[in-house]
Amino acid sequence: MNIAWPIYRRLAAAFPHEFKLAFGDEMLEAGEEAIPDVAKRYGFLGLVRLIADLLVHIPIEYLNEMRRDLPYAARSLMKSPGYAVVGIVSMGLGIGLTTNVYSSHWVLFMRTLPGVANAEQLVTAENPASYPYIERYRETKDLFSGVAAVRNSVEFNVALNGRTGKPERVYGQLVSPDYFSVLGMDPQRGRLLRADLDKTGATPSVVVSDRYWRGRLNADPDAIGQTIHLNGQSAIIVGVTPPKFDGALTANPAELFVPTTVPAMLAHELGNDVLSDRSAKDFQMLLRLAPGITIDAAEAALDGVTRRLDKDDPLAPPQQDKAKRVVLLAAGTRVPIPREFRSKVLGFYIALMAIVTAIACLNLATMALARAASRRKELTIRLAVGASRFRLIRQMVTEGILLSLVGGGAGFAMAFGMWAVTDHTPLPAGSPISPDTALDWHTALFAFMLAVVCGIGFSAFPALQGTKTDVVPALKEGAAQQLSGQRRFGLRNLAMGAQVAGSLLLLLIAGFLVLGIANGNNISTNFDQKTMVFLFIDPIRDGYTPEKAQLFFARLPERLSSAPAVTSFALAAQPPYQLDDDDGFQLTVDDPRAASPVQKEVVKQTVGAGYFAALEEPILAGREFDQRDQRIDDRATHGSRDRVTTLPLVLNEKAAHALFGKDNAIGRHLRGNRRAYEVVGVVPDMKDAGGMIHAIAYPPLTQYDFAQPPGGGITIIARGHSAEDALGGVRSVVASMDPNLTLFNAQSLSEYLVRIRSAMRSALRTFGGIGIFGLVLSAIGLAGVTGCAVAQRRKEIGIRMALGARNSQVLGLVLRESATLIAAGTVIGFLGAVALAKALSAITSAFSDVFTVGVDDPRLLIGAPLLLAGVALLACYIPARQAAKIDPLQALRQE
Amino acid sequence: MIESQVESFLPLKTQWFHILLSLAGEEQHGYGIMQEVMQRTTGKVRLWPATLYGSIKRLIEANLIEESSARPAPEFDDARRRYYRLTPLGRRVLDAECERLQELVQAIRSKQTMVTERG
Repeated sequence: MNIAWPIYRRLAAAFPHEFKLAFGDEMLEAGEEAIPDVAKRYGFLGLVRLIADLLVHIPIEYLNEMRRDLPYAARSLMKSPGYAVVGIVSMGLGIGLTTNVYSSHWVLFMRTLPGVANAEQLVTAENPASYPYIERYRETKDLFSGVAAVRNSVEFNVALNGRTGKPERVYGQLVSPDYFSVLGMDPQRGRLLRADLDKTGATPSVVVSDRYWRGRLNADPDAIGQTIHLNGQSAIIVGVTPPKFDGALTANPAELFVPTTVPAMLAHELGNDVLSDRSAKDFQMLLRLAPGITIDAAEAALDGVTRRLDKDDPLAPPQQDKAKRVVLLAAGTRVPIPREFRSKVLGFYIALMAIVTAIACLNLATMALARAASRRKELTIRLAVGASRFRLIRQMVTEGILLSLVGGGAGFAMAFGMWAVTDHTPLPAGSPISPDTALDWHTALFAFMLAVVCGIGFSAFPALQGTKTDVVPALKEGAAQQLSGQRRFGLRNLAMGAQVAGSLLLLLIAGFLVLGIANGNNISTNFDQKTMVFLFIDPIRDGYTPEKAQLFFARLPERLSSAPAVTSFALAAQPPYQLDDDDGFQLTVDDPRAASPVQKEVVKQTVGAGYFAALEEPILAGREFDQRDQRIDDRATHGSRDRVTTLPLVLNEKAAHALFGKDNAIGRHLRGNRRAYEVVGVVPDMKDAGGMIHAIAYPPLTQYDFAQPPGGGITIIARGHSAEDALGGVRSVVASMDPNLTLFNAQSLSEYLVRIRSAMRSALRTFGGIGIFGLVLSAIGLAGVTGCAVAQRRKEIGIRMALGARNSQVLGLVLRESATLIAAGTVIGFLGAVALAKALSAITSAFSDVFTVGVDDPRLLIGAPLLLAGVALLACYIPARQAAKIDPLQALRQE
Repeated sequence: MIESQVESFLPLKTQWFHILLSLAGEEQHGYGIMQEVMQRTTGKVRLWPATLYGSIKRLIEANLIEESSARPAPEFDDARRRYYRLTPLGRRVLDAECERLQELVQAIRSKQTMVTERG
């Protein structure tokens, strides 16, 4: 016999078990006889052909076997619909949640900016800078190959040429002309902004985003060269950005890119000489590192440059010398996040998602284990009649994969649904959250991979366990079964304990987050929230001169107070209860006696006369602003160093306490943002729409603000008997003064709160979903497992009852075992959650904000474990009651 | 109903046709089929073992052949061998295939005469 024979024999042994059972012997016989014949007839090549024939057919036979597994798996799942439903629901929830979080957050932090060259070289500074500083930074050619200035979320009233109707408000970025060359971007159409073409005095050009071009210009190729009216001034559309690009350094999509070289009439943010004012820190920086320069080196060098610049500026606020003045972050992704923060944010999401996935898998694993136990007889019979163990495992894993693929489909549908809901939620006017978190094929692929991994994960282990059976005793259906059930640290018990622990961990972490975010979901007002409305008005962007605008605002209060429908009103630079917009306002106590000046950063909210009266907030000390304060004209003194007007200032309690401790704040002097202030009043702390209480300083709304309105316009706050009354009243007053003025974003306080919280609501939905998911899953899992345990112990329970055990004793017996597991799991999960929350809040301040609220909340700390334990016990109680109802005679006869 | 079932197998794969043809006369075991096909085609068609048994498996699954319990006289028998025979469906499929092939041959013949006449 030649060398072909051993190879043939080996290969023949590699065929699937079922195939070998039917044809193995014959194939060996055929080979034995054929090999000499083939060798004689065709020689060596014939033998090669023979072996090749085997090699080709092995995978074919395996595939053929597998193809039969799938319908079998589907049939067997359909036979136990409870298990299938639990499986699909848990996998669907798990995969859906994970996919949703993946697509909404991961992409935001991880995807590099579309259309950008060498995105990893892009950096930005954590804090905004003034334009003159940025120009000086641009001179450091050895550090940066490009430096651009960006001002985010600039609103424009846009009218397209040849189209009638009211102008539309569009968000854009005000950028230095080298913005696109720093990004290294090529236009999709036309040209992008260029430093050599878009000089001061040139015809204003504007670049539009791909989205704007498609959405508003109908993808018209002739749009290039068209005139567009921005805030009443004409500009030429010169180009379109590459698809999906809507601004660097911002989560808010920008649709227009306007150079900083345009006249201030076109972009009012350029007024007041911001381009030469060293104190106007209005611009974000976009820097491109020179080749070979690390971000740390650049940061250190830039810090030095900044220190020299600050030293030359006598008006710059005194700073502690040690603190870094410039902190750089990578800016190549959609949302720049601090470097040390980045890995933690990602780690947190990965950990959260891993727990979700693990719980879903554990849940199914425990169910699958229990199912394997109840399928023992089926499995054993199949083993006894000759099915290989591998074959059975393959069958069970196929079932698992099938289940999680269906679950994955459900999950993807859920993720899509959640995304669609979020996508269609109206967004708050001031902060358009990026809609570009659409699910893409990455997400689908991710969900699919997750499903397959989960499927293998939860089914392989029970399959190995379930098929490790001694055929004979199992067939006898006797004691062996109970022996394995009694093992204290059996796989099932471990899985169940881990599941309770994991679910509680999830429930608590989600609870911390939800409480942290939703804490103040009910801001308390001393009036009916439905009777208050906000409207926004911006006469400057409607073409008024500053003087005309000031005159308008001077006459407006008088007219509003004579309108019968409006019971109270106030003007402000921003709506009340607004979320902290990071507009840090540094205040220094002006006290010559103090050795080191007290310096605090507070939130600034500029408000007009009668603001607190309109909100029905009491004045705790001093007074609030009146019409005289609103008439202060500090435009001339703003930014100049010689004559400084002292402005009145109202503080809330928290700010007063932070600045002056227990001392009386009234009459004290403060400095901040190049102005002097005198505290005239103290008001109570009010929660913002996110439930947080900040230290807030309220400077007065002055003629400066009317001539130079903030980005969102001036807010008119009005109350009437109903929202409609108040709205109608304000509208008719404004229309009687000038019918051409635009009143935009009119809404009642309750609508406003709903909208401003929409971004949070999606986070809340996610985290709340995760918490409920944990609860539901563990309940389902525990009920399923206990149910199976009861089913397995029917005989034992029957004997106990026949020997006189009472119902309550049987109930106790079943519950005791589960209760131990639940208690152990609860303790572990509780400690884990608290430790994790503490660790996370210690690591980053961003988490500590949210976690501090929840971690100390007794409702959560006591409630969540109780809730989980209660639900878990209830879940076990139902099958335990079934156990107590077992009729001993029937149970014993069944065997 | 049966007609359409028969039709669904046509045209038969070459290996399937040869296996069914070998079983048309009498029951055979796997190696026997291999040898008969070799002889009938004077060595032009060789069914390699894995191909042969894979085909047999599919043919059984398709209910065209079945295992036979009849065994030859003990002196010719080998315990490892299994014998196969055509099922009624298998016979009808084979008939239908033969008919189809004959029609094909007829068609070729008539064309050939035309070709020869012209030539």
